[in-house]
Amino acid sequence: MTLEVDPAAIRHDYVARVSRRYGVIAAVFGLLCLSFLLDITTGPGGYSLSTIAEVLVDPMSHGARLKVIVWDYRLPVAVTAVLVGALLAVAGAQMQTILNNPLAEPFTLGVSAAASFGASLAIVLGFSVIPAVGPLLVTVNAFVFALCTCGFILLATRLKGVGSETMILFGIAIFFTFSALLALMQYMASEDQIARIVFWMMGSLSRASWEKIGLGTILLCFAIPFSLYRTWPMTALRMGEATAQSMGVDVGRLRVEMLICISLLAATAVSFVGTVGFVGLVGPHIARMLVGEDQRYFVPLSAMVGALVLSLTSLISKTITPGIIYPIGIITSLIGVPIFISIILSSRRERLQ
Amino acid sequence: MTLTIDNLSAGYGRTNVLQDVTVKDIPPGAFVGLIGPNAAGKSTLFKTIAGLITPNKGALTIAGEDVTHLGRKDRAKRVAYMPQAYGCNALLSVFESVLLALKQTTGWRVNDENLDRVSDTLHALGLSHLANRGVADLSGGQAQMVAVAQTIVRAPDVILLDEPTSALDLHHQLSILTSIRNEMDRKKPVVMAALHDLNLAAKFCDRLVLLRNGAILADGKPEHILALPQIEDTYRVLTDLERTQRNVLYVDARLA
Repeated sequence: MTLEVDPAAIRHDYVARVSRRYGVIAAVFGLLCLSFLLDITTGPGGYSLSTIAEVLVDPMSHGARLKVIVWDYRLPVAVTAVLVGALLAVAGAQMQTILNNPLAEPFTLGVSAAASFGASLAIVLGFSVIPAVGPLLVTVNAFVFALCTCGFILLATRLKGVGSETMILFGIAIFFTFSALLALMQYMASEDQIARIVFWMMGSLSRASWEKIGLGTILLCFAIPFSLYRTWPMTALRMGEATAQSMGVDVGRLRVEMLICISLLAATAVSFVGTVGFVGLVGPHIARMLVGEDQRYFVPLSAMVGALVLSLTSLISKTITPGIIYPIGIITSLIGVPIFISIILSSRRERLQ
Repeated sequence: MTLTIDNLSAGYGRTNVLQDVTVKDIPPGAFVGLIGPNAAGKSTLFKTIAGLITPNKGALTIAGEDVTHLGRKDRAKRVAYMPQAYGCNALLSVFESVLLALKQTTGWRVNDENLDRVSDTLHALGLSHLANRGVADLSGGQAQMVAVAQTIVRAPDVILLDEPTSALDLHHQLSILTSIRNEMDRKKPVVMAALHDLNLAAKFCDRLVLLRNGAILADGKPEHILALPQIEDTYRVLTDLERTQRNVLYVDARLA
C-alpha cells in the first residue's frame, strides 16, 4: 500500500527536530545578547566598549558622570527595550492562539489606542482614573484604559457567535472610537499639551526607569511560567476549538485565564513606552516560521524575537542620525514593516522546520 | 471495560435532545455502530458520553463506575471523542499533533514512553510516512486518519468516532475502519461510531443502535436491526436485506 517507515525512525526524526529547535532558540538568544551589548555601548559620547564594561562592573570607576550615563540612562533604556519587546511579543503570540487569528496583537485590537486616550486624558484634563498616583498619572491612566479594553475583548469572546473575524472587527471599532476620543482631547488641548500627547503616542524608550523595569520583570516572570504550564492545552487549541474540547481542554476557561494574563502584559508594555505597533505581530510570526507552533518553543522564542526586534530598533534609532534619538514607534513601523513583508514574501508557504 | 448508558436525557440548556437513552452493557472490544438520520442526536449522545454536555438525567458507567461526575480531564482519560472533521491551519507536524493529544492527560514532560506510543500508533495506522508532514498540508482522508490516531494514542476505555468516514473515498473508508478494528483486537476498547453508510455499518459493526429524534428505536445485531421496518420508516426508503457471496450483509435501498 503505502511505503512504511520504521517507528524508531520517525521517533528519531522528532527528537532531531526538537534539538534543532533548541539550536534556533540558542542562536536567537545569542543575537539578543549581542544586540543588547551594542545598545548599551552605542550613543552620544562615543565611549569605548571597555570603558562601558568597567562602569558596569564598578559604577564609580570612571567618575559620577559616566555612572549616570550608563546606569541611569543607557542601561534602563536597553533593558526596557528587551523587556517591552518580550512583553508585547508574548501578548501577541497568546492572543493569536486564543483568538485563532494571526492578526491579533495589542495594537490591532485597539489596546494601544485606548492607552493613548488614557494618557491624553491625564495630560489634558489632569484626570486620574485612580486617585493620588502623583507623577505616575499618565502611565497609570494608560494602564487602566488598556486593561479595560482587554476586559472588553474578554467579555466579547464570551458572547455567542463571536468568531475570530468578528474579534478583529471589534478591535478596529475600539481603535476608531478611541482615536476619535483622542482627537477630541487634542482639540481641547493647549499647544504644549498637544506636543506631549503626540510625543507619548510616538512610543519612546526614554521614559525608562528601574521601577518600571522591576514591575515588568515580575510580570514576565509570572507570565512565561504560566504560559508554559498551559502549553499543552494551548497547542491543542491550534487544532481547532472542537478538537481541543474533545481532548478534555476546558476552552472557555483557558481563554479567560490567558486573556487575563495577556491583558496585564499588554497594558504594562503599552503604558511604559506608548504606541509601539508591529512587535506583537512580528515576534510571533518569525518565531512560528522558525519553530512551528508547539507552544513549548513558540512562546519563549516569540519573547526572544520580540525582544531582539525592539533592541535592534533601539540601536537603529540612535545610529541613523548621530546625536538624535528617534522615537522607536516610528522606527519599528518604518524599518520593520518592509523587512517583515520581505520575510513573508520570501517564505510565502510557511513550512515546518 | 463495559460501557453502559442508563436512561440518559441531555441537550442544550433545558431542552432535551436525547430522551431516556439506554444502551446496556457494551462489552470491551465491541464495535457499536450508531445509525440514524441527520439531527437524530448522534453527536449530542457522543458529546454527553465524552463529558462536553452535562446530562439532565441518567447515568454513564464504565466498568460499573459512574463517570457522569468526573471532571473534564479525568473523563478525557477514559473516553476519547473524535468530533466531525474540521480543517486546521496549525504549523504542527503530524507527529506533534498526535503527541499533543497524548499529552493532554499525561503530565507536562515528554518522556520516552510517550514518544514510543506516538510512533507506534502512527505505525499501526499506516501513517508513518506522514509523521513529518504539516497537519495543514494533509488531504481530507489523511487528516481524518490523523484524527483517529489522536484518539487511539490515548489508549482510552471508550472511543467515540463521529462520522469517521465522511468525505473519504472508498479505499480510505475501508482502511480507516480496518485500522480501528485492528486496534480493537489489540487493546479491547469499546468503540462507538456514527455511520451514515448502512453497508459499512453492517460490514464492520458487532452491534447497531438506531437513533431517531433523540430516542433509541432499536438496538441489536446488524442482521436484526437492518431487517426492521423502522429502518425503512426512519430513512424514508424501501430496503431489501441480502447476503453477498462472501456472506456480508448488503442493504439495497431505493426511494419509496
